[in-house]
Amino acid sequence: MSGKTGGARRDEPVDVLIVGAGPSGAVAARYLAAAGLSVVALEQGHWPDAADFPGRKREFELAAQKRWHPNPNVRDLPRDYPVETSASDINPLMYAAVGGSTTLYAGHWTPFLPSDFRVKTLDGIADDWPFTYEDLLPSLEEIEREVGVSGLPGNPAYPPQRAFPTPPLPIGKAGRKAVEGLDKLGWHWWPGTNAMPSVPYNGLNPCVRRGTCMTGCPEGAKSTVNITFWPHAIRSGARLITGARVREIEVNDQGLATGAVYIDENGRERRQRAAVVIVCANGIGTPRLLLLSKSKRFPDGLANRSGMVGKRLMMHPFSAVLGVFEDELDGWMGPFGQLVESFEFYETDASRGFMRGAKWGAMPGGGPLGVTSFVGSQIFSAGEGGMVEDVWGENLHKLVARRFNHCLVYGIIGEDLPEESNQVVLDPELTDSDGVPAPKLLYKVSQNSHDMLRFHVARCTEAVEAAGAIETVVVHQVRDTGWHLLGSCRMGEDAATSVVDQWGRSHDVPNLYIFDGSTFPTSGGVNPTATIMSVALRQVRRLIAQRHLQEAA
Amino acid sequence: MSTAIDGGVRAAFRAIADVLIPAAEGMPAASEVDVHGPVLDRIIGLRPDLAERFFRGIGAIAGLPPETAAVQLNAADPQALAAIGLVASAAYYMQPRVRELIGYPGQEKRPGNPDETPEYVANGMLQQVLDRGPIFKPTPKA
Ligand SMILES: Cc1cc2nc3c(=O)[nH]c(=O)nc-3n(C[C@H](O)[C@H](O)[C@H](O)COP(=O)(O)OP(=O)(O)OC[C@H]3O[C@@H](n4cnc5c(N)ncnc54)[C@H](O)[C@@H]3O)c2cc1C
Ligand code: SF4
Repeated sequence: MSGKTGGARRDEPVDVLIVGAGPSGAVAARYLAAAGLSVVALEQGHWPDAADFPGRKREFELAAQKRWHPNPNVRDLPRDYPVETSASDINPLMYAAVGGSTTLYAGHWTPFLPSDFRVKTLDGIADDWPFTYEDLLPSLEEIEREVGVSGLPGNPAYPPQRAFPTPPLPIGKAGRKAVEGLDKLGWHWWPGTNAMPSVPYNGLNPCVRRGTCMTGCPEGAKSTVNITFWPHAIRSGARLITGARVREIEVNDQGLATGAVYIDENGRERRQRAAVVIVCANGIGTPRLLLLSKSKRFPDGLANRSGMVGKRLMMHPFSAVLGVFEDELDGWMGPFGQLVESFEFYETDASRGFMRGAKWGAMPGGGPLGVTSFVGSQIFSAGEGGMVEDVWGENLHKLVARRFNHCLVYGIIGEDLPEESNQVVLDPELTDSDGVPAPKLLYKVSQNSHDMLRFHVARCTEAVEAAGAIETVVVHQVRDTGWHLLGSCRMGEDAATSVVDQWGRSHDVPNLYIFDGSTFPTSGGVNPTATIMSVALRQVRRLIAQRHLQEAA
Repeated sequence: MSTAIDGGVRAAFRAIADVLIPAAEGMPAASEVDVHGPVLDRIIGLRPDLAERFFRGIGAIAGLPPETAAVQLNAADPQALAAIGLVASAAYYMQPRVRELIGYPGQEKRPGNPDETPEYVANGMLQQVLDRGPIFKPTPKA
C-alpha cells in the first residue's frame, strides 16, 4: 500500500476501500486514515440528521412503529435493502446510515465475557475463538474511551478493567424496583453500562434521559460513530461516499481484490479501485455482498472456498418479561438503554438442560402506547381472535391506568449457538431499489435457545415478582428482534472451515478483509457492539502494522 | 374505496372511536378530545401505511350502529379494526388533556446529576453484590 495521505478524488485508486459506515467500518476508517493511508468508504445510507428523529415530537410512539421501526421490511425505505424472511423464525433488524444500525440501537454496552471466547474448552460445544478475552481487552479499553461509555467500574461479572470514561446514568425508579427484586433473591445486578455519556464527551452531549434512544437520539447523546469516529476519520483525510450501494467486489486474474462496483445516488454505476478491501456491512450485508461477487475464479461467491459464507448466522432470539407494579416508576424516562443489568445466569450450568446463558437488561416501559408494544411491535396485546372489549372500551383505560408509568421490562439476550443450517443466501427474485438481489434468511430458533429462553423467562418472572409485581406479562421469542447479526463469515485458523483468520483477512483473497460481527465464531449472550468495535480495532491495528507486507492488486 | 377524510368518514370514525375509547374510569371519550379533528389528518399523513386498512374498515361499517360495527369488524377484518384503534389511541394519547390525566409529560429531558453519589452506593445495596465476589468463569489456562 502506498501510504499516501488521504483526500483521494472520486474514482482514483486508494489504499483501502471500506464497505459500510457503521461502527466496524468507522473504526477501520479512523485508524487507517490516522496512519496516513488513503481511505474511501462506501455507504448505501446517508448521514442521519438528529432533527429528523421523532423523539421530541408528540407522535414519537406512532413514528416508532413505522418510519423508525428497526425492521427494514417494515420501514420500506429505498436506502435499505429488503430481506426475505419467510423461512426465518426471526426478523433481522438494521439501519442504513452513517452510523449503521446503531442509529437505532439501544446502546447497551456489554462486552463479551472471558468464557464467550472459550465455549469449546469450557463447555465442549461450538468453537473457541482464535484469541482470548485478555487479548482483546486493550482494544476494548481504547474503544470505551472513544465511545464515552457511562458506567460504574467493578462489576463482579467481569474481570477488573480500566474505569469507564463517564459516571453511570441514574438507574431511576424502574431500575430501583428491579434491584429490589434481585436483592431479595441474592442475584447479581449492576447499574447499566451504556454507550451514552453522562457528561459531555468526544462530541457527544450528556444523556438527558429522554428515553427515545431506539428511534435515534435527538439530543446527540447516544454514542454513534457519525459523531464519535467519522469526523476524526474525515479530518485525517478519509472520504465517505453516501448513497453508494456496493453490488460487487471485483478480483483480477491473480485472485486479488481490485475494488468494488457501486451504484451511486443517481443510479449510475461506478467503480472504486483499491489495494485492500474491507467489508463492514454486518452479518447479513457482508455475506450478501460476497455471494453477489461471483466470478470465474470464485464461482460460489468471493472468499467462499470453504462454503462457509452465509452459514452459521446467529441472531440472539429474544424474550421479554414485563412487570407491573403499584408504584409509579417514571416508566417513560430513559435511558432506553439499560437501567440495570444482571449476569446471574450467564455461565453454563448443564443441570438447567441447556448450554450457555443470557444477560438481562432492565428497561423502562415507555409511553402509553408502550403498554401493549415494545420497540415498535405490538407484543403485549391480546392479538387477533380476541374480543373487542379485551383491549378496548373501559379495559383500555384500566390497562393504561395499571401499566403506564408502572412497568419495567426485562430484555433477555441469550447466546445463540452456531448451526450451519442457519444461513444467509441470495433470494432469486427479491431485489433492493437498485435491482441488486436481496438476501434471504433460512433460520430456525434452536432447541437450546428455546430452552434457555424458557428458563430465563421463569427466572425473570421470579425477579419481578420478588420486587412486588402485581402483574407479569411474558413474551416468548419475539419475532422482530434480530438486532445482533453474527457469525455468517466465521473466523478461524483453518481455511477449510472458516472464511477469515483472526485478523479478519480472508483465507482465499489475501487483500480482502471482513471486520464486522459476521466473523464471530460464537455469539456470546450479550449485545455485541462493544466486541465488534474492539475486534475491528485489534484487526485494523494489525493491518496497519503489517501494511508493508500486504499483497495488493 | 374512498381515501378522503370527508365528513362521513370523520363521523363514522368518531362513533367507533367512542366505542373503543369511551368515557369511563375518569377518562374522557375519544370524541371529547377531538380525535376526529385535525389530529386525524395528521396521523394519516404520518402513517400512510395505515390508510388502506383504516378506510377499508370505515367503509365496511357504514350505516351500522357503532357497537355492532366494532364487533362485526373485529370478526370480519381484525386488521382494519386494529388500524382504526391505533389511529384512535395514538390521537387520544397525543392530546394534552389526556396526557395530563394519565400523568404523562411526554418524552422530556430529565438530566441526572453525574456528580451525585448513587443511592445504591451510599446505602450499601451494591456492596452486597460485591461481597458475593466475582461470578464470571475466567479464561481457562492454555
Ligand atoms: C434496534 C436495534 C437495537 C440494538 N441494540 C443494541 C444494543 O443495545 N447494544 C449493542 O451492543 N448492539 C445493539 N444493536 C446492534 C448494533 O447496532 C450492531 O451490532 C452494530 O451496528 C454493528 O455494527 P456494524 O458496523 O458491523 O454493522 P452496521 O451498523 O449494521 O453497519 C453496516 C453498514 O453497512 C451498510 N451496507 C450494507 N451493505 C451495503 C452495500 N452493499 N453497499 C453499501 N453499504 C452497505 C449499511 O447501510 C450499514 O450502514 C442493536 C441493533 C438494532 C437494529
Ligand atoms: S435517553 Fe439519553 S441517549 Fe436516549 S434518547 Fe434520551 S438523551 Fe438520547
